Amino acid sequence: MFAVLALAVGVALGVVFEPSVPLALQPYLPIAVIAALDAVFGGIRAKLDRIFDDKQFVISFVSNVLVAALIVYLGDQLGVGSQLSTGVVVVLGVRIFGNVAAIRRHLFRA
Amino acid sequence: MSDDPTPEHSRFAPDFLTEMFRNPLDPGYAAAARRRDRSGTPPGRAVPARTARTLVLVLAGFLLAVAYQQTVAAQPERARVRAGLVADVTSRQAETDALRQRAEQLRDAVARQRDAALAGTGLDTTRLSNLEVAGGLVTVTGDGAVVRLGDAPAPADPVTGKASGANLGQVLDQDLQDVANELWHQGAEAVSINGERLTATSTIRTAGSTILVNFRPLRSPYEVTAIGPPDLDRRFSLSSTGRRFSSYALRYGMQVSVRHASGLSLAAAAEPQLHYAQPFPTGSPSPSSGRPVGPSVGPGASGATPTPSGGR
Repeated sequence: MFAVLALAVGVALGVVFEPSVPLALQPYLPIAVIAALDAVFGGIRAKLDRIFDDKQFVISFVSNVLVAALIVYLGDQLGVGSQLSTGVVVVLGVRIFGNVAAIRRHLFRA
Repeated sequence: MSDDPTPEHSRFAPDFLTEMFRNPLDPGYAAAARRRDRSGTPPGRAVPARTARTLVLVLAGFLLAVAYQQTVAAQPERARVRAGLVADVTSRQAETDALRQRAEQLRDAVARQRDAALAGTGLDTTRLSNLEVAGGLVTVTGDGAVVRLGDAPAPADPVTGKASGANLGQVLDQDLQDVANELWHQGAEAVSINGERLTATSTIRTAGSTILVNFRPLRSPYEVTAIGPPDLDRRFSLSSTGRRFSSYALRYGMQVSVRHASGLSLAAAAEPQLHYAQPFPTGSPSPSSGRPVGPSVGPGASGATPTPSGGR
């Protein structure tokens, strides 16, 4: 409940402040969002598995976002930026789906 | 799903993808839980850890909102850029048209002045004006024929309703070339396609799926207008080319119509920009021999020694 509240506060902050993203960072934003979603869903699942750990969550969030952005950056430098972003999105998407499936099993026993 | 820890060495062993689908959770959580069990400390209730978690969650929500706004903002941006480009193209086209019109007016003025100047010299100016007509440099009027070609409607897939396959009834540059050639052959003296007058330096070609005449893009339907003998339309219809096109109309659905037209008026073509061709020094005093070359050659200058273009 508290976590949902924090998330909502974050969304509200983003809506209220409407920050402009620097042009250089714009390609990395969608990837960073997917990585953040992956960390959030991983955290929810861990919570339901009763093995949630604050440190683990913070580290996985920060490293997910940074590594995803770094991979895309590297890809851009090597000329395979769009392919690598696709790869990152696929891998993170698979993880999100798996975690959501586990959450679903926890919540609905199905 | 079982939570038993995968042995480190076999994590990627048999099939990495299967493993990824089966167990997408970070092994870190399980490892942390095991550590806690071993050391006996209760799950982290420390204030700094909770603050960090809250901060991260706020950050995640913030990221989501920012990314959403960014995506929404990018959409009209793209549309705006496109609209700007379209407006640019249209304004440039209008500019070109205005310039062409002005060039035509100036050319008319020049022709009038020249006629006035030549009238006193007693030279024969009819040959000059005939050559101008043949060269497409002046607007001409007369009777003739209009051949109208239109793309067949694209064949639609019966299931999806979308266009499918190649449209065999599409008008190609080759078709326009054939029609123009046939009209010349049947005695046409001036031909223009959608208002583009054909001259000795005209081109009819394709760029992508667009037909360019004199480097100006045209759109279907194409109207080939020709001034020629009064039975030009009949002669065209009876020619092998005309028969071929009526079979195209029957077989591929191309829109083909040939009709007689009177009182046609064909606009002049743009002045040819000749850079390499020089008039051959015939020594003939005829003022027309040097006409298309440009400023350096007037009626009296045709005896000037032309430099062959080999030096360029």
